[in-house]
Amino acid sequence: MAAKGAALSAAREMERMSLEQLKAFKEQSDLEVNLLQDSLNNIRTAATRLELASAALQDLSLRPRGKQMLVPLTASLYVPGTLDDADKVLIDVGTGYFIEKTMDEGKDYCNRKINLLKSNFDEVVEVTSKKKSIADEAGLILQAKLRQASTS
Amino acid sequence: MASSSPAIKDLQRDLEAQANILSKIQKDISKNHQVRKQYTIQLGENELVLKELDLLKEDANVYKLIGPVLVKQDLAEARANVRKRIEYISAELKRLEGTLQDMEDKQNSKKESVLKLQQKIETLQSGKSNS
Repeated sequence: MAAKGAALSAAREMERMSLEQLKAFKEQSDLEVNLLQDSLNNIRTAATRLELASAALQDLSLRPRGKQMLVPLTASLYVPGTLDDADKVLIDVGTGYFIEKTMDEGKDYCNRKINLLKSNFDEVVEVTSKKKSIADEAGLILQAKLRQASTS
Repeated sequence: MASSSPAIKDLQRDLEAQANILSKIQKDISKNHQVRKQYTIQLGENELVLKELDLLKEDANVYKLIGPVLVKQDLAEARANVRKRIEYISAELKRLEGTLQDMEDKQNSKKESVLKLQQKIETLQSGKSNS
């Protein structure tokens, strides 16, 4: 109910604005919606990368110690090696800090971060849809005003 | 011609000067926004790191990436470093907010003086063309 009330009062505001102001307002709203959608994409990318990391961890935890593997030195150079202790993992937590954790803690870290990103994503989706509806309203009112102006 | 009156020329020069100052203030304001955005992002990242560090047991290993080298750090030291950075960034953000407020006030008063000048010029020009 409150959201509907807010949308109605916003519509009334827009009715009062002149054509120029309304055009500027619609452009501003469209810009904001684009920014928010970029943020949504960034969050989705980050969440995907974390899920990949989590899957890799899961796979790593299944490998026995001493298993033969190929270690990447560059993007096209691999050298043979053996898997050392797979119970300890180094986690990049940001600002150049790496934390040594056990496999379980590592998986827990990935899950925590994924959940954090999911809740951020949901919040941003909410804000985006609100902004988009305001921008669409502005567009409709703008068109109506243009029609009025061209017929008068 | 009415527009070549020296009084109007002076006013127009003045208007140009004021308009230049106004656009410089606006550039400064948008730069302020940029820098504040950067700092806010860094603050968020550092707070995340601090949360992770606080969750650790005292004997956990922490490493810092310095160039291409991973250097073992003392947990207490790492926590203190991150806290200091958070304090520094918060102080910088506060300072920038104060500067922003100043600049916005200056911008508004400049806008007013530019507007007044424009009005003066208009009335003088319309006055000349009427006489």
